[in-house]
Amino acid sequence: MKPSAFEYFTASTVAEAISLLERYEDEAKIIAGGQSLVPMMNFRVAQPEVLIDINGIKELDYIRQEDDEIVIGALTRERDVELSPLVQEKCPILAEAISLIGHASIRTRGTIGGSLVHADPAAEIPVAIYGLDAKMKVVGPSGERTLEPEEFFLSYLTTSLEPSEILVEVRIPVLPQKTGWSFVELTRRRGDFYIVAVASILFMGKGGVCKEARICLGGVGPTSIRAEEAEEILAGQVITDALIEKAGQKAAEAADPESDYHASAEYRRDMTRVFVQRGLAEARNRAKGG
Amino acid sequence: MAGRRRITVKVNGVEYEREVDPKRLLVDFLRDDLELIGTHVGCEHGFCGACTVLFNGRSIRSCLMFAVQADGAEIMTVEGLAGDGKLHPLQEAFREHHALQCGFCTPGMLMVAYELLRDNPDPTEEEVRLAIAGVLCRCTGYKQIIDAVIAAAPKMRGK
Amino acid sequence: MKIEGKYKFLASQEQIWDLFMDQKNLEKAIPGCEKMEEREPGKYDVLLKIGIAAIKGTYTGKVEVVDPEPPNRYRLLGEGSGNPGFVKGEATIEFSQEGQHTIVSYQGDMQVGGLIAGIGQRMIGGIAKMMAGQFFKKMAKELKSQQ
Repeated sequence: MKPSAFEYFTASTVAEAISLLERYEDEAKIIAGGQSLVPMMNFRVAQPEVLIDINGIKELDYIRQEDDEIVIGALTRERDVELSPLVQEKCPILAEAISLIGHASIRTRGTIGGSLVHADPAAEIPVAIYGLDAKMKVVGPSGERTLEPEEFFLSYLTTSLEPSEILVEVRIPVLPQKTGWSFVELTRRRGDFYIVAVASILFMGKGGVCKEARICLGGVGPTSIRAEEAEEILAGQVITDALIEKAGQKAAEAADPESDYHASAEYRRDMTRVFVQRGLAEARNRAKGG
Repeated sequence: MAGRRRITVKVNGVEYEREVDPKRLLVDFLRDDLELIGTHVGCEHGFCGACTVLFNGRSIRSCLMFAVQADGAEIMTVEGLAGDGKLHPLQEAFREHHALQCGFCTPGMLMVAYELLRDNPDPTEEEVRLAIAGVLCRCTGYKQIIDAVIAAAPKMRGK
Repeated sequence: MKIEGKYKFLASQEQIWDLFMDQKNLEKAIPGCEKMEEREPGKYDVLLKIGIAAIKGTYTGKVEVVDPEPPNRYRLLGEGSGNPGFVKGEATIEFSQEGQHTIVSYQGDMQVGGLIAGIGQRMIGGIAKMMAGQFFKKMAKELKSQQ
């Protein structure tokens, strides 16, 4: 199908975008990469009356390091993040997660900010963002605020952004050297929306002990979640196969998935166990430099 | 600010200036306004890959963009491959290896293969598979397409 | 698609039954409910405005309470359609007392079709559950304001 008619505006600064949002409120929708919005418009599931195109806001397209953080502008293309040597070195789990989004030609247009704001429960970037404990900087008419993942994501396709706020930046703590990490997902075909995705990060201490573990699950609820009880099993331990086994089981208990025609809730929960175990094994190998 | 917009785009090296409705999809603009019907329109929601073109040098799905957003861009479509009445080495290889039957996916396959071989002149079979994974073919079973891309690689390197 | 869930209220079963049978409360608690009119006893016309992100729609529909067995259970039939598609379903609502609390549980089957089904299929079950949760929370609020 073809999209329904809309009024089209371009913004070339953040301030312009915000004032357009203030003027049109509910009727307006921001378009960045458009890789989620345009399919919905083509299907006429979404029929925004006003489209505010922010692709011209050049000030939101950057990747740089500031002290211990990688800072990425919201309009940075997914493919640029994926291929960035800085991200690959300091935040490899994000590059890996992005490489699993759709296909290269989707990532050419799709933006990191667009994926976060769209808040699809089967998107890769939010899972990595939870795992990395990144912060989202949003700007609105009354100034800016910085949100943790738990504050930013509310539910299916829903964030805590106010109607006239926009996401401008993502700030990601650099992973220390020798951190073990993995991003694994279960999909029917390459590029599909995943059934389950797991981001694992193992911060290593002295003597092969894991200081802190982060296990983040996607596809098992309205937003990504941290499997905190599973993380506690690993914290302060030398990671053994038995602990990985146990952590997988614990993580599956944290999952609260729904059934749909791709997979039953039961299958999703069991695959959470399997993929957490696989992911942790991979992360442990990376931590060992393997 | 409603209504039609004037845009300028360069497609396969030729500059075009046209007025477009903001809701005009880039793929429809290419096919219906510029009459470049080599690019196919399939699923219209970014799944099939038939509408793949290069946008400022990178592959995109032209059904997931509005023409108005392409103002000032350089686009390459499947029509940009052949030159001087001669098929591009990729197109030759597709013909030699029977890499198409109905031909619907072919423009998308050619564009992602072109992008791959430009950036990675000597890809492994795995890399070829990954590059074409986003374009759906319902006839060939993909094997002949992979063979064709691998066969085209040395010819493109020699160019 | 099967949907089910339950919610706990601090009130007697009779009070909760009355709460659920009062159209005014339903009108306030049903997410996105703009209008609700009783056509004949137990049969309502509703107008809903539901928007999740860019997916916004206005739905008109009918809701019918059948086989009421006060204060234990009733069946709810509903159907609605709007620009993004249609929804049709039925559910059994059961009330049971547990000490000072009343448990309201629902179990139903829902069909979703039209445009929304093509692209929203993955999330519809979860969104239905989320909206059911919003409904129960608002009902609890209504209960509190009346106590």
